[in-house]
Amino acid sequence: MAKQREIGKAGWGHTAVAGIVGFIYFFPVFWIILTAFKTRTDALEIPPKLFFTPTLDNFRAVFFRSSITSDETAATNFILYFFNSIFIAGTAVLLAMLIGTLAAYAFSRHPLKGNDTYLFIILTTRMMPPIVVIIPIFLMFRLTGLAGSYWGILLLYTAFNIPFSIWLVKSFFDELNPEIEDAARMDGSTDWRVFFGICLPQIYAGLAATFVFGMILTWNEFLFALLLTGVETRTVPVAMARTLGGSVGVDYGLLAAIVTLFLIPICIVTFLLQNQLLRGVTFGTVKK
Amino acid sequence: MAQLILDELRRNFGTVKALDGVSFSVEDGEFFCLLGASSAGKTTTLRAIAGLEKLAGGSVTFNGQDMTHSPVQGRGMSMIFQTFALYPHMSIYANLAYPLIRDRVSRSDIRRRVNEVAELLRVTHTLKRKPSTLSGGEQQRVAIGRAIVRRPQLLLLDEPLTNLDAKLRNDMRAEFKRLHRELGMTMLYASPDQLEALTMGARIAMIDNGKIVETGTPQGMYGAPSHTFVASMLGSPVINLVKGRVNQSGSHHTLELPFGTLDLSGVSLRTELSSGDSLTLGIRPQDLHVDAAVEGSGSADLSISGRIHLTEPLGDVTILDIDVRGSLLKMVLPEEQAATYSLGQDIGLSFSLTDAHLFDADSGARMN
Repeated sequence: MAKQREIGKAGWGHTAVAGIVGFIYFFPVFWIILTAFKTRTDALEIPPKLFFTPTLDNFRAVFFRSSITSDETAATNFILYFFNSIFIAGTAVLLAMLIGTLAAYAFSRHPLKGNDTYLFIILTTRMMPPIVVIIPIFLMFRLTGLAGSYWGILLLYTAFNIPFSIWLVKSFFDELNPEIEDAARMDGSTDWRVFFGICLPQIYAGLAATFVFGMILTWNEFLFALLLTGVETRTVPVAMARTLGGSVGVDYGLLAAIVTLFLIPICIVTFLLQNQLLRGVTFGTVKK
Repeated sequence: MAQLILDELRRNFGTVKALDGVSFSVEDGEFFCLLGASSAGKTTTLRAIAGLEKLAGGSVTFNGQDMTHSPVQGRGMSMIFQTFALYPHMSIYANLAYPLIRDRVSRSDIRRRVNEVAELLRVTHTLKRKPSTLSGGEQQRVAIGRAIVRRPQLLLLDEPLTNLDAKLRNDMRAEFKRLHRELGMTMLYASPDQLEALTMGARIAMIDNGKIVETGTPQGMYGAPSHTFVASMLGSPVINLVKGRVNQSGSHHTLELPFGTLDLSGVSLRTELSSGDSLTLGIRPQDLHVDAAVEGSGSADLSISGRIHLTEPLGDVTILDIDVRGSLLKMVLPEEQAATYSLGQDIGLSFSLTDAHLFDADSGARMN
């Protein structure tokens, strides 16, 4: 009797290959996390050490550090920076999704004359490299007094995320069966109720995917944050860059600790929305 | 009185005239079928009645009220969509309850009526599940349930059986007739399937290219179709249509067909014929008979001899394609009789003039 292979279950060989590829991808992250627990000497050791006595000093140093001039440890502002990163990215992405979802629904269900042209124009704002637009934006922010304020960076990141939100969410709306909305209308639903009660619940997965992608993009954004945030509104990537260098050289352990901490919130978000995410990115590609 | 009157409905999609003056009326409590091929305008007509399509012209009158410009909500109509259009994120119970919640029916009444409808359509066991976990037939029944739970005065059905397999389709046809009898509501049923229209409709309107070609009873339209289009849409297998030329000698007319001459003297025609006119002869496969003695038969008006080209056994009957001097005629024989013939064998056929349908070859309009 021939042994039949179960569909959907890969053999050991496939699993091993996948494991190796996965390990190669994950290795840099793994190494950073490892470095975060190393002392300065361990971190700089050549050849690199895989086994060492772990220390939490680096993590302590993220928040409390002795300055070069005095031996006293003082609180760094990293708690504020982490708050800023979470608050700014979260708020901007949610705002962009709110506006983007409404716009996407309108583009999908009530197309304008030249609908595609408008969609294209919206996307063009994201086509040029940020470095090209940073100077005029910086000047505008200086002039209006938005530079360094929460409003400024929130405004920018929201605008930054809107095109992406519109395009992605519109594709989810386009996938929906319009007869379902007609049915709801005939059953007595107003347009608002059709939108909130019938359309949105069907694309929750897509919205979750959009949120995570937007978060990752915004979370890691450096260039605009560098120029447009102030002492009070500084985000982690900027603060991280500022801890680089200095008279005593690069403290790799400290940097690795910041990166490790920086990974945690985005990992939590992605993990929580994991199931939705997979359904979101494959939305419409699988026949219902 | 749930009477529906459509007057000259017009709807354009770009340069395409989806509805080009559609008019018909559906009486209170009637089961009315709208029959037409795909993209003939069936769905657009139903959507126009429901208010889901903006009309370029014409009016929809329902219950004596002009509803042409009324909002979709509150027309007192329900629709069953071709894709069923169940709310995928809601349980079956919530799907069935949805129209009632919108109508602000009290919670206890909702529960009672949803359970009633679920019982009627035998979907009680699925109430807690999501639509995607149901079979096609169950989804269909839930779609019906959601449409009838609010007791609409008019039920619009847009090809509700198209997405079901053949066996279920047969069952559901009977189911719709039962529902119509039990609920007594006015139903307008759009279908591309002549069998559904013939078996279910009290009356049929046939639509083609956004125009109503003919309205009538199934018997009337099958027995005396007004147009070659109607003749070829109704009946299975498809009617045999053969073109011929009129020959006149005095007041005596004959029709020259590729396989013989048909004497038209016994036929009362709507218009005067003259020599050279083109006519189309329509003869249903069921009206062709085997004529063992082709030469010298008495009762038939025309006898033909041909050769069996193809057979399609359907179990109880067999469809024979017979090659008669280059034109193929279809006929239906009982299985036992068909078994006595083999491919390529010669066969004699005859038909009676009373079974013949005559159409103008150019306009397609009926002549007799």
